[in-house]
Amino acid sequence: MERIIQGMAPSEVVAQLRKADGYYMTNTARDLSQSDFKNRILLHTDMLAAPSRERAGYFSLEITGGASVHVDILRKQVDPFLKLELLREKMPNTMFQTLCRGVNLFGYRPYPQNVIRFTVREFAKYVDVWRTFDFMNHVPNMQAVFEEVAKAGKINEPCICFSTGPEHTDDFYVKKVKEILDVTGTDIILCIKNHGGLGSPQRIGQLVNSIKQSYADLPIHYHGHNTDGNDIGRIAAAVINGASIVDASDSSMTGYYGPAPSLTVIQTLKELGYRAIGIDEDAVIETSEVIRDQRQYYAAFESQIKGFQPTVQIHKLPGGAMGSSLEQAAKGGFLDKMPDILHKELPRVQKELGNYWSVTPGSQILWTTAVANVQGGERYGNPSGDLRNLLLGKYGPFPFYQPEEWIYEKVLGADWKKVLEEEGGMDEIEDMDLDHERTTLSEKIGVEPTDQQLVLYLQHPNDAVNFFKFEEEFGKVYVLPPSIFLHQGKFNVGSTLSFTDHYGKEHVIEIGPSMVNEHNGESNVYLNVDHHQRIYSFAPEAQAGVAAAATVLSKEEIQTLAKNGDIRAPFAGNICEISVKEGQEVAAGEQVAMMEAMKMQTPVVSSIPAL
Amino acid sequence: MKKKILVANRGEIAIRIMRAIQELDYEAVAVYETPDKDSRHIRLASEAVLLGNGPRCDYLNIEKIIKAAKRTGACAIHPGYGFLAENPDFAKACEDAGIIFIGPTSEVISNLGNKVIARRIMAEAGIPMVPGTSNLSAGEDGVQEALAFASKYAYPIMLKATCGGGGRGIRLIESDEQMRKEIPVARSEAKAAFNDESVYLEKVVINPKHVEVQIIADKEGATIHLGTRDCSIQRRNQKLIEIAPSMIGNKELLDEICQTAVKAAKASNYTNAGTVEFLIDKDFNYYFMEINTRVQVEHTVTEMITGIDIVRTQIKLALGKPLSFTQDDIQLRGHAIEMRINAEDPQTDFMPEGGKTVSVYRSPGGYGVRLDGFVYQGYTIPQVYDSLLVKLTVHGFSWNETVSRVRRCLQNFDIAGPKTTIPFYLNIVQDPDFMKGDFNTSFLDTHPQLFEYKETPNEAEKLSKLIAEIHHRGTNAYAF
Repeated sequence: MERIIQGMAPSEVVAQLRKADGYYMTNTARDLSQSDFKNRILLHTDMLAAPSRERAGYFSLEITGGASVHVDILRKQVDPFLKLELLREKMPNTMFQTLCRGVNLFGYRPYPQNVIRFTVREFAKYVDVWRTFDFMNHVPNMQAVFEEVAKAGKINEPCICFSTGPEHTDDFYVKKVKEILDVTGTDIILCIKNHGGLGSPQRIGQLVNSIKQSYADLPIHYHGHNTDGNDIGRIAAAVINGASIVDASDSSMTGYYGPAPSLTVIQTLKELGYRAIGIDEDAVIETSEVIRDQRQYYAAFESQIKGFQPTVQIHKLPGGAMGSSLEQAAKGGFLDKMPDILHKELPRVQKELGNYWSVTPGSQILWTTAVANVQGGERYGNPSGDLRNLLLGKYGPFPFYQPEEWIYEKVLGADWKKVLEEEGGMDEIEDMDLDHERTTLSEKIGVEPTDQQLVLYLQHPNDAVNFFKFEEEFGKVYVLPPSIFLHQGKFNVGSTLSFTDHYGKEHVIEIGPSMVNEHNGESNVYLNVDHHQRIYSFAPEAQAGVAAAATVLSKEEIQTLAKNGDIRAPFAGNICEISVKEGQEVAAGEQVAMMEAMKMQTPVVSSIPAL
Repeated sequence: MKKKILVANRGEIAIRIMRAIQELDYEAVAVYETPDKDSRHIRLASEAVLLGNGPRCDYLNIEKIIKAAKRTGACAIHPGYGFLAENPDFAKACEDAGIIFIGPTSEVISNLGNKVIARRIMAEAGIPMVPGTSNLSAGEDGVQEALAFASKYAYPIMLKATCGGGGRGIRLIESDEQMRKEIPVARSEAKAAFNDESVYLEKVVINPKHVEVQIIADKEGATIHLGTRDCSIQRRNQKLIEIAPSMIGNKELLDEICQTAVKAAKASNYTNAGTVEFLIDKDFNYYFMEINTRVQVEHTVTEMITGIDIVRTQIKLALGKPLSFTQDDIQLRGHAIEMRINAEDPQTDFMPEGGKTVSVYRSPGGYGVRLDGFVYQGYTIPQVYDSLLVKLTVHGFSWNETVSRVRRCLQNFDIAGPKTTIPFYLNIVQDPDFMKGDFNTSFLDTHPQLFEYKETPNEAEKLSKLIAEIHHRGTNAYAF
């Protein structure tokens, strides 16, 4: 039996990979969703694909991790654990894979050790392959995850994040591999994480070869993105040079920033004499056919800019960040400045900040800094909190060289040396009182939370509570197809929507008329639910449009009205914290609020002393 | 031409009475006030007379109702319950106008409506009564009488309006000081509400069971009973749930109570249907409380266990027919429970939900289930009347079967729009004490957990709510 199936011991899996005659393939559906569809591919679509994906014989299905855990509860309104449980029922043999950001888990900032361990333990009940990375390739940042994965009897797949430039030598990466192996032991799979799809096929082939020269028995899993349209070439070069597993996904859904189409990989490597072990090509094709129709409903989440981007070799933004950057640029009205930002400022910032790896959360720091530098006028004039933390070494040491002193001065202030001395270095994050958190959560949701609920709450406190409340109000909505859940505009009156609920009962909903109650302004929506009329009332919308229209000012008017001491948002984003009270005295430079955009927090400071 | 009978009432009882009228092959005449113009009782009647804009005052207007009866040629009037049902002036006006009043004579209503006269009649007949006074004298003399009574029987004591009833005009007194304060207040309230400032005292029976006996008497003097009902589950002295027969295990005691009720009815020269109410204390002493001279809301439970149509019997007796059955014909079979499905929110002290529209109404059915209602899908509950939507009455062979049936029926109701007492009742029927048949008038106070419930829509309704919201907004705000 050559196919690797769920339930095999890590040592068994690694042994089978070592003697493999050919290569295995991972279907990175999560990565596809995150890179090309802003993480919105619904469980409903993954459930449709599940039977044929199971038969396709993949090494693993990457279906959780990255930003998906957050988006699951925030925008897909699905329980990330329930998702894994339901897919497992339909896919008993396929290993599930996650992408874990080390100390940052599935979020953007470091978590306490006990939260990391608790989270890994809960997810390891469903997840077999743990692909773990750190954007600074700082191995200690991944250690807690390694340990818990090993304890759970699951497969560790540590990453070396890959990038290009004079410092990114084979020698450097082989040493990194040694650092990892020293911690994990040899029963692991090593991932080359090429999230930007950087380098040529030859460069990747050479890197795989160099690692293989030093560690012949180490199975290598090559992960890349097809942003420049050439990941097939890199995948082929990786396999030719000894990689055992490669990533790709279903062709009917592939786009410009995520994985390459799996069938193309299979066909290309077949010509070259390499066999896709365990893969049933018909099932691979069938999967694409089954979900092809669903793509239209996700159109709103596909990138604003279509087409491959060979310029990724210059700006190096990874797949997921590319989509959200474009979205932010479109919303912020600076799409026209994108070439400047991407091709001039971003490479410059990367070089200035130490040429580390552009992946979460490091990619967001680079991007936000580049945008602020172009938009704000003065370079490094309005540094984000995360850039400050980067310079203070909160994420780990710079791998190659430190930024120049003037940048430290800009970001940390005139007495930056003192600040660096006093505040620099990685923080020891104190363990959280989990019993206390459990009690707090139970007060918020009114019932004793499950361990899984607590895990979600520890990751994203507000969003998790909102999700639990959402589920109580609207039920388990993953049963709704994207044609309903992501519907744009009103449904046609008289149209019928049918679906089967979580418990297995079929329902037919017929859309009836909508009427506005003249007395209270409420809108009544009439639905026939399973042939019985239901009326849903909605309070009148606040007259936001009217009020907003009255207060729209032109840029010139704002300039005229502006006076010294005004505090204005440096960019479009959300206020996530107000740091001062009304009537409180603030000094010039003191933080008054915290804004968040692109997952990065930026302090808003007062420019003058004030009340 | 068919006989016409006018129903001087509204809501479910008007419909209940019209059904009996129609089964006797007579024609029913409805009366209504403007806020009731969409009421189902108008649709069911052959004719309907608009009394006026109301609210309530026209249903209470004797002159207008007599006029309506005369204009439509109704030979008799059924007053239902509430409104003019126990108003002796109305019965008298009917008698004077040559219209048959379906109920006892105005004299009987008058005597029994006056608590002090009623107590005197019962005392003479040797009916056991809660210790009490006659009407208190006016001024300081009355206060002294009250304090003397209190020192003899001890607090708590009930201060009652002589002409009150149905839970109105009653105050609980717990000290001399409170007695002094409350007597003048009670007097002026009684004056305003009943146009009679007389008040009297009764010793309080603590946490009694409320057990009543349905009696029926014809004009020949034949008087029988139809067994007991337990109406202990009340809020603010208003009944919520009634069962028949009483769950007291001592059959001899229940039989004695029934015989006493017949004796009380005879002592007051009672004719037609009525209810003799008793309080039973924890030692199973029973005390006469009052006789209600009307058809009761809860008459349905007695009908279920006896098979006797009480309203039909009322009409036949009023039209001069003798009773067609004897006491020996009456068999009590099984158990019956009635629940008043009210448009009220039990969690906000039974705040009425008047003004709301019933957007969905689906009712239970099946074996042993009876519904007396007037609500329909699309009906807007008037704010000016009571909040009763429908009475659910179920019948079962055993108590357990009956309780499970009523639970099932409550679950089968589907009412959207107003909040109702259904989730609260669902808690009651699943309460261990209720399931054992163990309850008295303190039931709600001693079982505060009954008010703890959450109304959870089913999965289809939850999902539909999201679909409705997507449709309403034109986008899914939880996904974008």
